[in-house]
Amino acid sequence: MTDSRWVGRSYETAPFEVTEQSIRDYMAAVGDLREDHELVAPPTYAMVYGFDAYWQLWTDQEVALDVAHLVHGEQRFNFQRPVRPGDRIRTTGRLTAINSRGDMELVTFELKARDAEDRPVSDGNALFIIRKA
Amino acid sequence: MSSLDFEQISPGQALPPLAKHVTVEQIRQYAEASGDRNPIHLDETFARSAGLPGVIAHGMLTMAFANQMVTDWLGHRSLLRSLNGRFAGMVLPGDDVTCSGSVASKDDETRRVVINLVVTNQRGEKVFNKGVAEAEFPPQRSNTHAA
Repeated sequence: MTDSRWVGRSYETAPFEVTEQSIRDYMAAVGDLREDHELVAPPTYAMVYGFDAYWQLWTDQEVALDVAHLVHGEQRFNFQRPVRPGDRIRTTGRLTAINSRGDMELVTFELKARDAEDRPVSDGNALFIIRKA
Repeated sequence: MSSLDFEQISPGQALPPLAKHVTVEQIRQYAEASGDRNPIHLDETFARSAGLPGVIAHGMLTMAFANQMVTDWLGHRSLLRSLNGRFAGMVLPGDDVTCSGSVASKDDETRRVVINLVVTNQRGEKVFNKGVAEAEFPPQRSNTHAA
């Protein structure tokens, strides 16, 4: 069981520089290839610019989540504005809950992404399920 | 641009479904594009040692499919305001998944549309459920602006 004293710990990404190549790589990977008249990232690209916040949580040696037994259980996103090449986005993730349910541990992670002018870009909420070994 | 006309949307209306065939190559490509190189998605031996049937697709790849079904229907990616759902089952290489959805409600005042979503596999099992997306359409152009 992960120690509940880590609830409240937060992680911040370095500014993520959104490039046309990064958006196109993501579109190719998920197979979402429709061309709009202006290149706007698919909204779920939030997982790309915010990924380092998740990674910092998963690799935090003190919190020591059992990532080998971790799966993504639920995800929520709100999108405040479209993301385009040239955006610089910083994401903050906060570990907000650790709960036990049967043979599972439920970990809640809340994310807020803001642009270079500190305006909101998106926010998210991830629920991770860790199957107890 | 072929954006959807807000006036023509009606509650209960089904969205065109979106089918995807998931491969090991696509999971690898997603790992590279997203940065998520967790070995449960890439390393067959590691995945089995973690108690999985083999490598599994990222949940966020399935959510990206649901996202695409909605934005393909909307005709523009910038209209989506929220997307939520549960990863109800594992997606494995070789699976054929189908996204489907329908209009749950529409508000003429806020010009918002709520869509319910589900993604099923080739056995009809839900791999993504309780999916909800919300889109907001720009204000209607006033006729008085006509030149």
